[in-house]
Amino acid sequence: MRTTLYKAISVALVAFVAIMASVTAAHGADSKTTARACWDAGIEAYSNKDYAAAVEAFENIVALDYASAEVYYNLANAYFRLGQQRTNGARNYSNGELGQAVLNYERALKLDPTMENARYNLDIAKELTNDTEAVPEGFITRVWRTLAGGLTTNAWATISLVMLFMTVVLALVYLLHSSLALRKVAFSLAVVSLLVFILSTALSLTQLSAVTDDSRAVIVVNDTTPVHASPDSGSKIIRQPSQGVTVVVERVEDDWTEVRFADGEEGWVRTSSVEVI
Amino acid sequence: MIRIRHFLLVLVALLVSWTSWAQATFTADAPALTALGQPFRVEFVVDAEPDRDSFKAPTFNDFDVLAGPSVSTGHSVQFINGKQSSSYTQTYTYVLMPRAAGNFSIGVASIAVEGKTLKTEPLLIEVIAERDSGSGNKGSVKTNPESSIGKDDVLLRLKVTANDLYKGESLRASLVLYSRVSVDGVESLTVPPFDGFWSQNLTIDNTSSREEYNGRIYETYKINEWLLSPQESGEIVIPEAVMTIGIQVVVQDNRYDPIFGGQQIYRVKRELKSQPVTINVKEFPKGAPASFNGAVGSFSLSSTMPAVEIDANSADQIELTLSGKGNFKFITAPRVAFPESFEVYDTKCVDNSKLTATGASGSITYTYPFVARSAGVFTIPSVEFTYFDPSTETYTTLSTEAFTIEVKDDGSVMSEVSPSAGYSNYGGTMRQLDHDIRYIYTDKLPRRAVPAFILTPLYWLAVVLIVSLFIVAFVVLRKRIRERNNTVARRMRHADKVAVQRLRMAERYMKAEDRRAFYEEMLRAMWGYIGDKFNIPVSGLTKEKIREELYRRSVDDATVEQFCEIISRSEEAQYAPVTNIEMNDVYVDAVEVISKIESVVKR
Repeated sequence: MRTTLYKAISVALVAFVAIMASVTAAHGADSKTTARACWDAGIEAYSNKDYAAAVEAFENIVALDYASAEVYYNLANAYFRLGQQRTNGARNYSNGELGQAVLNYERALKLDPTMENARYNLDIAKELTNDTEAVPEGFITRVWRTLAGGLTTNAWATISLVMLFMTVVLALVYLLHSSLALRKVAFSLAVVSLLVFILSTALSLTQLSAVTDDSRAVIVVNDTTPVHASPDSGSKIIRQPSQGVTVVVERVEDDWTEVRFADGEEGWVRTSSVEVI
Repeated sequence: MIRIRHFLLVLVALLVSWTSWAQATFTADAPALTALGQPFRVEFVVDAEPDRDSFKAPTFNDFDVLAGPSVSTGHSVQFINGKQSSSYTQTYTYVLMPRAAGNFSIGVASIAVEGKTLKTEPLLIEVIAERDSGSGNKGSVKTNPESSIGKDDVLLRLKVTANDLYKGESLRASLVLYSRVSVDGVESLTVPPFDGFWSQNLTIDNTSSREEYNGRIYETYKINEWLLSPQESGEIVIPEAVMTIGIQVVVQDNRYDPIFGGQQIYRVKRELKSQPVTINVKEFPKGAPASFNGAVGSFSLSSTMPAVEIDANSADQIELTLSGKGNFKFITAPRVAFPESFEVYDTKCVDNSKLTATGASGSITYTYPFVARSAGVFTIPSVEFTYFDPSTETYTTLSTEAFTIEVKDDGSVMSEVSPSAGYSNYGGTMRQLDHDIRYIYTDKLPRRAVPAFILTPLYWLAVVLIVSLFIVAFVVLRKRIRERNNTVARRMRHADKVAVQRLRMAERYMKAEDRRAFYEEMLRAMWGYIGDKFNIPVSGLTKEKIREELYRRSVDDATVEQFCEIISRSEEAQYAPVTNIEMNDVYVDAVEVISKIESVVKR
C-alpha cells in the first residue's frame, strides 16, 4: 500500500516539475546571443561614458524582448547619465532623458519590486522632477503589497501549486493511513498548507495585477508639459509638470490622455508626452 | 676662392686651418631650358688661379659654338671686420646654339689648380621648339609700345599643389608672374580672398627661374606664396588675383634720328589677372572614432605622467606631446578623464610646430595641471588621440597607457578643504558625489521576460492534475486498503461476538461441571478477544503485550489488572485440583471486564 502511494506521488512530482520546466523553457537562441552581445556592448559603452551608445544597446535588448528588471535599470542609468552629460550636470535635462530614466526605473521596479538599487536611483531621479508626494496607502494595503512584492508572480504561483500538492498528499495520508497519530499530524498540516495555498494564490494574483498594471505612466517629453483642463489645446492650462512625473492614466482619447497626478488633480495631456510604465 | 695671405702672423694657425678647407671650386652654368633658335651662354667658373693652359672644354656635340671660349678674370679684395680677404675668379664663356629640340647634356670640363685637376658636373639642357607667338618685340618695328607686348608675353598664374584634398590637409598656393618681357615693377597687387581656407604666408626667395608654359619659355618670379588649409568641405573657388605691373618697352624710333635710328624706352602698364582655381575638399570618411576631433596628418603621441605617489593637495601634471606632420593649429587637446576628486586646471598648450612649404610639422605639448584633493588610489584611463591620415585614408588612434596614481593622505584631506577660496565648484561636485545614482548591473545577463504563469491554461492544468491525482489516489488506494483490511476489520468488529460465543460455551461447561473445559474455553475467549480486537496473532500475545495494548487505548488500570487477573486465575485453576475459585465468579468477572473494554475501545 505504501509503495503504491509513493509511486503515485513521485509520478505526480515528475509531471509537475516537467510542467514548470516547460514554462521557463528557453526560446530562440539567436535573439539570446544578440541580447547578450548588446548587454556586453551596453556595459562597455556605459563604463566608457558613451551613454548614447549604452542607451542604444539596452534599448535593443528591450526590443528583443529580453528586458529583465536589470536591463531596465541599466537603461535608466544610461539615460540619467546621458542627460547629465548633455546638460553638463545642470538640473534641466534637455531631451527627456530624465523622463526616460524615471520611466525605466519604474519599469524595473514593476518587474522586480524588491530591487533596492532601482528604488534608490529612482528617488534621486525624482528629486530632479517637480513631482508631488503621493498620498500614502493604508497600512494593510502597504503590508499586503510589500508581501506580494517580495516574490515574483510566478514564484507565488509555484508556491501555491506546491502547497496544493502538499495539501492533497497530506489529505490522502489523513484519509488513508491507519496510524492515528500520523493522521492527526497530517490533518493539521493539510489545513496549514491549504491556507498557504490560498494565501500564495492571492499574492500571486496581486503581483500579477501589479505587473500587468498599465494605468501608470511617466511624462517623458523634454520641458514642462502643459496639462489642460479639457482635451483641447485652447483650454486652460492647469499645471505644468516636468519630465519624470508619474501619473495615473484615467482614459485615452486619440491625441489626448486624461491623467491624475499624485495629489489627485486631473487634467489632459498630449498622448505623445506620456509613456505607460 | 679665398686665399689667406700671410700678413697677420698671429693668425697663422687659424689661417692654416682655413686654407686646408678653402678648396678651389670649378663650376659650369647654363640655362636648364632654352628654345630652339636662341643662342645661350655656358660659363665655366673657377675661383682660383688655374694652371696655365690646363682648361679643357667639353665637346659640344649637339650645339653649334657661336663664340668662345672668351676668358675673363675677376679679382676683388674685401675687408670684413678688419680681416682682409680676396677673391679671384676666372670665367670661360661659350655662346652655343642648339641644333635640335630635345634633352641634351654638356659634358665635363676640367681644369688644374696647383696641379690638382678639378672637374665640373655635366649639365642637362632641355631645348624646346617654341610655339610661334606671332608677336613679340623682336624683329618688326612697332611704333606703338602697347601693341609691342603680346597677350601671352606676360601672365599671372595662381599655382596650387593640390586640387583634391581632405579637410584639414594643406596645400601650397603660389602667385607666379610669367614674363617674356622686362618687368619694371609691381604697381599694385590684389591678393584673392581665401574664403573657406585658413591661410598663412610663406617666405619666398626672390630668385627667378625659367619655365616652359604653353610651349613657350618664360622667366618666372614668385610674387607670393601661401599655405592653405581648407576649413569646409565641398568645392571652394579661389577667385582671381589682380596685379598691375609696369613693363619696359624699347621701341626703335627713327623719327628722332633719321640716319642712325634711335631707341625710345617706354613704360607700359599692364593689368594681369590670374585664372580662378577650384579646389575640391573631401569630407572625412565615415566611422571616425569618438576621440577624433579633426586632426589630419600623421602623428605620434608621447606622455609624461606624474609621480606614481603624490601627496594629497599637492599639484602635479600630465604632459602629452604630439609630434609629426599635420594641422597642428587645429588640434584640440585630447581629453583626459581625471577622477572626480581631482581639481583640474586649464590645459596649457605649447605649439612647437613650424610651417614649411608642405605643411606644419613639429610637435605640440599639452600640459594638464591638477591637484588631487582626496586620498586613495585612482586610475587615470588611457588618453586617446585619433588622427586622419589622408595618404592611407584611415583613422589612426594613438593612446597612452592607463595610469594608476596613489594619492597619500597628508592629514589635510577633505576636512580642511575650505568651501571658500575657489573650491566652491569642488564642493558642488562633492555634494553630488555622495548623492549619485548607483552603478549598473554588469553580471546579470538579460533574460526573456517569463510570462505570468498564474491563471494560464497551464496553471489550471496543474491544479486540475493535482486535484485529480487526489481523487484517483483516494479512490484507488481506499478501495485497495479496504479490500486488504476487510478480514481484519471484520475480525475486529466481531471480536466481542466471538468472545460472547466462547463465553456461552464456557457457561455450558460450567453447568456440566467440566472445570477443565470451562477454563480452557475461558482462556480462549479472553486471548482470542484481544487478538481479534487488536489484530495481533494469539501466538504473539503475552500478558505484558495485553497490558501495553490496553493502556494505549486508554483502558483504565483497574480494568486492565482485572483482565490480567482473570487470565491468571483461569490458568491457575485449569490444572489445579483444588477448587477454591468459583467458576461462576470467573465467568461473571470475565463478562464484566470484556464489556468494560468494549465500551472504552470502540470498534
